[in-house]
Amino acid sequence: MGAVTGAPPLAAEDDLRRDRSGHLRGRTVLDRCIGWLLPLLFLVAIAPILDLVYWVASRALPTFTLSIITTNPSGAAGGLLSPIVGSLEILLLATLVAIALGFFGGLATAEYLDEETAGAIRVTANVMVGIPSIILGLFGFIVFVKYFGWGASLAAAGVTLGIFMTPYVYRATDLAYLSVPPHIREAAVGSGATPLQYLFRVATPIAFPSVLTGIFLAMAIGVGETAPILLATTPVAIPPLSLFQPASALPLYIWSGFENGLILPVAIHRAFQAAFLLLVIVVGLNVLVRIIAARSRRRLEGLFQ
Amino acid sequence: MSQPPVAGPAGGRQPLPFLARLRAGIARWWPYVPALLPLALTLAIVDSLIGASRLQNFGAGFFGFIITDYGILIFVVGSFLTSVPALVIAMLVGLGIAIASTTYLPRFLSEWLDPFVDLLAGIPSIVYGLWGFLIVAPFFGHDIFPTVAPALAWIPGFHPSFNSPSLEGTGLALGIIILTLMILPITTLLMRDALRSVPRDLWESGLALGATRWEVARHVAIPYAKRGIWGAAFLGFGRAMGETVAVYFVIDQTARLPTNIYAPTSTMASLIVSSIAQNLAGTDLHFLAEMALVLLAITLVVNVAGRWMIRRTFTDVAGL
Repeated sequence: MGAVTGAPPLAAEDDLRRDRSGHLRGRTVLDRCIGWLLPLLFLVAIAPILDLVYWVASRALPTFTLSIITTNPSGAAGGLLSPIVGSLEILLLATLVAIALGFFGGLATAEYLDEETAGAIRVTANVMVGIPSIILGLFGFIVFVKYFGWGASLAAAGVTLGIFMTPYVYRATDLAYLSVPPHIREAAVGSGATPLQYLFRVATPIAFPSVLTGIFLAMAIGVGETAPILLATTPVAIPPLSLFQPASALPLYIWSGFENGLILPVAIHRAFQAAFLLLVIVVGLNVLVRIIAARSRRRLEGLFQ
Repeated sequence: MSQPPVAGPAGGRQPLPFLARLRAGIARWWPYVPALLPLALTLAIVDSLIGASRLQNFGAGFFGFIITDYGILIFVVGSFLTSVPALVIAMLVGLGIAIASTTYLPRFLSEWLDPFVDLLAGIPSIVYGLWGFLIVAPFFGHDIFPTVAPALAWIPGFHPSFNSPSLEGTGLALGIIILTLMILPITTLLMRDALRSVPRDLWESGLALGATRWEVARHVAIPYAKRGIWGAAFLGFGRAMGETVAVYFVIDQTARLPTNIYAPTSTMASLIVSSIAQNLAGTDLHFLAEMALVLLAITLVVNVAGRWMIRRTFTDVAGL
């Protein structure tokens, strides 16, 4: 790119902005007012979420005991063991599917296709990100549950969610390998590395942290999704013993609570506790991503100095 | 990566043996197989939906108003009624945040606040829905709407009619509010990127001419980043149209057009998701697949347009 972009840092007080008697000019006053008012808009974005986190935590934590994560649900009461286990199992399967379907595409686009083809193919992956998740859910229901005859099962939910997560992994891999600086590649090829040596010994070690952050981000998005798995599995009270048994999940647990009316206080508490666990997982994965990104950036800066 | 031509002893090209040609062909073409998977999956989704639908229903009746007999128009209208206002609010607020973050805030503050806004995009839809249904809806129904509604009643569509179950919190208005919160992070993020891509030279030449930061943002940066901002609008709209669970929780899912802004209604996505509780077979599945095709067509067009605009912005910057 080369060109420096973005607004320059704030300048010091500027005498040109004052008229002869030293008063600020009208346009400058307007600028100052906007400078104070616009940042307040951050509150519009952040305040509701603080409210959300506060309410979810305040409804979830007072009745939170260890038995909630060690027992299965029974009716509106009981614990959250099977949704937690089911969520993790579905997420594990989905992540494997997404890596299998997305990683090699991203690698091929970044490393092995010419610029124009890669650009066009990138658009298709970006457009796939925009497909509404409920449509993915309907697709999974039609293909895996009905056509393949898997029924409402862990496999159908995991594969559907995996397809939902595929373009995220694809984009992350693509960007990760694209970000390997050209001079590193030239140095490797120039010192006689074969394409495979370059890929495994040079590009992958540099790109790996970014690929990993992309996969974690895809997991953070996938674990909270309700619509893709809603049709592919049913909220059951026990964790599945095989791939073709239905598996519950935390979002599905909240969903079925809503469908049953959320009238009993214990049902409301359980729903908020499931939501709280989801928030913890999502925020935890995001924090993990930032830690990995920061560490790898430090490492890369050391590498390129 | 291409195979070098093999020169024979006579200097002319000899035909390669079959296996070598096969190897060369695989080396040349294998990247297309995984790279085209997203496109193949998208086509598979379209194909499965077409297979599950009955395309002959795409007639006048399909787009008719009648709910009992394969009507879809009211759900399309419902989707637009929630998405368009949410998009307008989210674009205005998001643009304000983007300008504040790129222009006015000191570096250390925006470095702390920007990742926070990005994190909001990751909060699961169903958590928004639960919070909206159990916390926000009672609050708005008891405290906000009864105070605000009489003051706004002169606006067409804002008058709470007394026959409909209005002012209970859930309904179109709350759907718009929750949807706004949900797409705000993505529009903010995209517009921030668009404004960040404005060359420093342009900012500084504007400031050097004596313009204030607001004037530069308003008359230089926003026009320059126009395509990126439009791209943000398109992608945000696609996101809003496809948003399902949270909207379903707060919109008081009812298959009819809203009589006022507080009334219950239905979007395409929320209708699909609400039908899941019922027995999903036969005509129901046909109908849902047809509706999903319409929704998919809208979101695909919107997303292709949005991505195209954003891509153009970036190539412009790279070309400078």
